[in-house]
Amino acid sequence: MTFDRDRHVDFEELISAAISGDITLDEQHRLDAHLAGCAACRATADAFAAQRQIMSGLRHVAPPRDLGARVRTLVELEQRRAVPWWRRPAAIFAGVGGGLAVVAGALLAIVLLDSPTPPDVGQLSPTPVPSVSVAPPSVEPSSVPTGAPVVPTLPPAQTPAPSGTVATPVPSTGPEPTPPPNEPAPDPDGYVAVAGPLESPTMSVIDGTTDEEVAVIAEPSETDAVGVPTSAELSPGGQWLAYIASLGESGMNEVRVTRIGDALDPADGDAITPVESDVEVGSSFAIGRSVAGSPFVDRMSWSPDGHWLAVTIADPDTLEVDSDVWIFDVTDGTSHRLTDTGNGFAGSFVPATEDDADGAARLWVSLAGDEPQSHLVELANDAEIAVVDPAQDPIASVRAFQPLVSPNGAFVIAWTGRMAVLGDHWALSEGGQPILAAHAPGSDEPFAQARSLFGDLVIDRDAFTWASIAWSPDGVAYALWNASWTGASQGSQGQYPDATRVYFGHATDPRGLTEVHAIDIGDVPDDARVVDVKVAPTGRHLVITAGRPTPGDLTPRSADLLLITRNTGRVADEVEELASGDDGWFGPAIFDDASWNDLLAE
Amino acid sequence: MALPGPVAWSPSAVSRTPDERLEQEFAQLFEEYASPIYNYVLRMVSDPDRAADITQDTFIKAYRKLDTVTELAARRSWLYRIATNTAIDDMRRRRMLTRVGDDSPVFENRADEGPGPEAQVMAGTLDERVQRALMSLRPNHRQCLLLSDLEDMGPQQIGEVMGLSYAAVRTLLCRARGEMRKALAAEGYAR
Repeated sequence: MTFDRDRHVDFEELISAAISGDITLDEQHRLDAHLAGCAACRATADAFAAQRQIMSGLRHVAPPRDLGARVRTLVELEQRRAVPWWRRPAAIFAGVGGGLAVVAGALLAIVLLDSPTPPDVGQLSPTPVPSVSVAPPSVEPSSVPTGAPVVPTLPPAQTPAPSGTVATPVPSTGPEPTPPPNEPAPDPDGYVAVAGPLESPTMSVIDGTTDEEVAVIAEPSETDAVGVPTSAELSPGGQWLAYIASLGESGMNEVRVTRIGDALDPADGDAITPVESDVEVGSSFAIGRSVAGSPFVDRMSWSPDGHWLAVTIADPDTLEVDSDVWIFDVTDGTSHRLTDTGNGFAGSFVPATEDDADGAARLWVSLAGDEPQSHLVELANDAEIAVVDPAQDPIASVRAFQPLVSPNGAFVIAWTGRMAVLGDHWALSEGGQPILAAHAPGSDEPFAQARSLFGDLVIDRDAFTWASIAWSPDGVAYALWNASWTGASQGSQGQYPDATRVYFGHATDPRGLTEVHAIDIGDVPDDARVVDVKVAPTGRHLVITAGRPTPGDLTPRSADLLLITRNTGRVADEVEELASGDDGWFGPAIFDDASWNDLLAE
Repeated sequence: MALPGPVAWSPSAVSRTPDERLEQEFAQLFEEYASPIYNYVLRMVSDPDRAADITQDTFIKAYRKLDTVTELAARRSWLYRIATNTAIDDMRRRRMLTRVGDDSPVFENRADEGPGPEAQVMAGTLDERVQRALMSLRPNHRQCLLLSDLEDMGPQQIGEVMGLSYAAVRTLLCRARGEMRKALAAEGYAR
């Protein structure tokens, strides 16, 4: 059948309108007159009518049976997100072990959309009360065995590049994020802000959802240097903020802790009782000052119940490189030296299990050296922290450096290679590279199925010195930045690895990290450097603190807080400016990892 | 639609706080539109898993902004607009907008193998052939046609969903029908 579109196009539109029942009387008369003498348009009318009949008769497909439950779960997350994290119910803050899962499950079992408004359980003191730390007493640590291990599994790695050759990056459409089924909003729970007059700026915590100030952070009274935060971690439950302040031209960092929230009320019997503290809201502590510049030093890890904070202090007052692990105890605001070897580094705490002794926590402690090792030690609830030899009767030991366990405990990223003192710090000196493994600390193979984190790099004479790494609360996504690489680039499209780029991957991706896993160059402004990266619980978003000035620039310090939506293939990443550096220093972002981890696990 | 699971989504009509009323309205919105939205999106993307994800995202976005749409009559267009935009975002991410017709329908019994072209054309149900025809259309043609003939929306409402004028919808719908006519003919359904 032929159809003269030029001649009949007006009437074709009238036919279409008539089929839809959207035609005026005048139009209908014109159409009828035309159809009476035009076989082609009558055929069109018949075809369109049949088409509409077919379309309206398409079979109805039932939605997936779990669609309602999925939406309900996400709405539940939204409801909790709508309440500022420092005022959420105690059950949400509990954040440890199975107790919260029970509570969360119970919440989902009620008529969700008919639930009452969560109670207001937290209050903030408007007037921070500065105080300082006190010297620690020494008590022998206890040793409690852990329960039977459950070894998670990693996806099989793709074929590695031949040894001794420069790897050719595998063409790829880019990483394919695997967002968790309960995808939450990507915005951070909060972020740190330093704003106000240049001579007397105020440091505060800003709600990531409402942009309202929720706590003012007083600097410790003994501190006379105004710093900007370059790293920050919220305690599980959100009562405490730990941050590392860069003291600028001094070349030092200061590790600080501030109590920003009030005691929680364990209103639900199933909720794990939060750690009680004698410290008033608003109190700030300086744990110690460190020589700046090493990602291995500039790390902090909270114990699963928020009882302890583990940090590494690289003593700036000694001629030799001297780093050790210190523990901050929130119950009384005291700091305790855990190692005294001069080469101790804090890894991460291990998520709690039902087999852990009451209130105990396990921490990976690393000893730098020609052959670095890490040991899993236990901090007992009923004994004060004392100096220990991590290599003496540890729960587990591995030949790797600074293990960082994913928030769900399934995976671990650590470093292998030889170490030496390079300048002011211990660093990897030969064959250094990050590895990814399944985390099974109680088994014969604590780091099972270990493999190179980068799937397309040949680690030989060229290797990593160090890099910064962060896990997402989802326990799968992670980011790596600030990569220091010795030797030639192995990239096909410029420098690779690149110290200025952020590499974003997923532990479930069999490719590991590759050249294409770098976020877009344009995501971070040219005149800024990546100071801090947090991976959102969505597993697809990054919150980057982009600081200025870059080295050599003497302009006042400022930082943008950027929310990056990672896209794949040819689709550019989306960048949203959560806060502009024009108004001060904004970042790092903070997430309540423990709460998210439990919510995502539901 | 009767939702699976142990949770009832129809709270009784009692005196409620504004938040509770909003939540009740959302529950009703979900109950009324979950299935139509899922089917609309399914016809758009031709992938049940993606359709479920997009439907889920649609309702979460709706939940966040429900209080901004006070007129009940406007909520249908508003919800379909969210679904349409979410589906477009999803397709854009998968570079489908630049590779029209490159979709890979996953409806069961797809006639993608067989002894010959004619046999392939005639294989499969009418539903599957119609779906293949739909997927060969440009996305905006597909949306317009689905909103009109599957969802029974008039040009005014389609315009609200797609952000188009009344006249633009009439023209677009006519073109979509013309393209669909050719696509159905290619599937062996010619009139």
